[in-house]
Amino acid sequence: MSAAACFDEIVHAPNRLQICAMLSAVDSADFATVREGLGAADSVVSKHVRVLHEAGYIEVRKATCASRVRTSLSLTEAGRAAYDGHVAALRAIVSNEAFRSSVRRRGVPAE
Amino acid sequence: MASDEERDGAAAIAPGEAARAISAIDGSCSWLADRIIAPGWYHLAFGLLAGGAIAEAEIRSWVLFAWSVAAYAVGCGALLWWNQRRAGVEMRYFDACTRAVFAGHVLALSGLIAFACWLDLDRGVRGAFLAAGVLAVSLAVVSGRWTDALLRARLRAGR
Repeated sequence: MSAAACFDEIVHAPNRLQICAMLSAVDSADFATVREGLGAADSVVSKHVRVLHEAGYIEVRKATCASRVRTSLSLTEAGRAAYDGHVAALRAIVSNEAFRSSVRRRGVPAE
Repeated sequence: MASDEERDGAAAIAPGEAARAISAIDGSCSWLADRIIAPGWYHLAFGLLAGGAIAEAEIRSWVLFAWSVAAYAVGCGALLWWNQRRAGVEMRYFDACTRAVFAGHVLALSGLIAFACWLDLDRGVRGAFLAAGVLAVSLAVVSGRWTDALLRARLRAGR
């Protein structure tokens, strides 16, 4: 089932989009894994995680294991819906442009 | 129905930027898919645990059998836990495809054990459990790698 296209400014920022992309495919991911995937500093990832968390898009869980705090992130239902809608909107933009390009290519040449 | 603000946001995005965003999404999913690839020895270790438990039946010691089953259970749990910590993700390992591979593996393993029992206990063929244990190692490696490939394909597709 495809989600209804709905552009989302919060999700659209490149780092936040990548965070949502990673979390959309799994139940949860460690903060360290997400940071490694983005190739960004802790502070940068924390900032984006906070924005997504405040928007209610991701859930942040902290667990202590062998005196170390392990932070895991997961998409909420609202976050998954926002991400799916945003991806659908991006695909619609790209496919519309592809359609326009093909119409231009197939256009009647000027006399 | 999209609001005016949402439509304005989408309208402000150039097709090139949208394509780059989709490419970044695909890149993230591929990165995650590569990350879940277990090391070469991982499925072999599962196979050795299962194969060891089966091959041990050749010795005909109930104590050793109980220990090998316990080692199999604890070893499998430890391997799964370690792999999840290594990858740093929790995911649904069982969907329709991976469940079918797992069910096939369990059925094949059960058939193998039943056949070894029949050969050894009914026909008196020595070494049947040992051969079944060796086959169980190959079976675990093949089904493990197959499951990995299905999981990777699912992650790459962003599902």
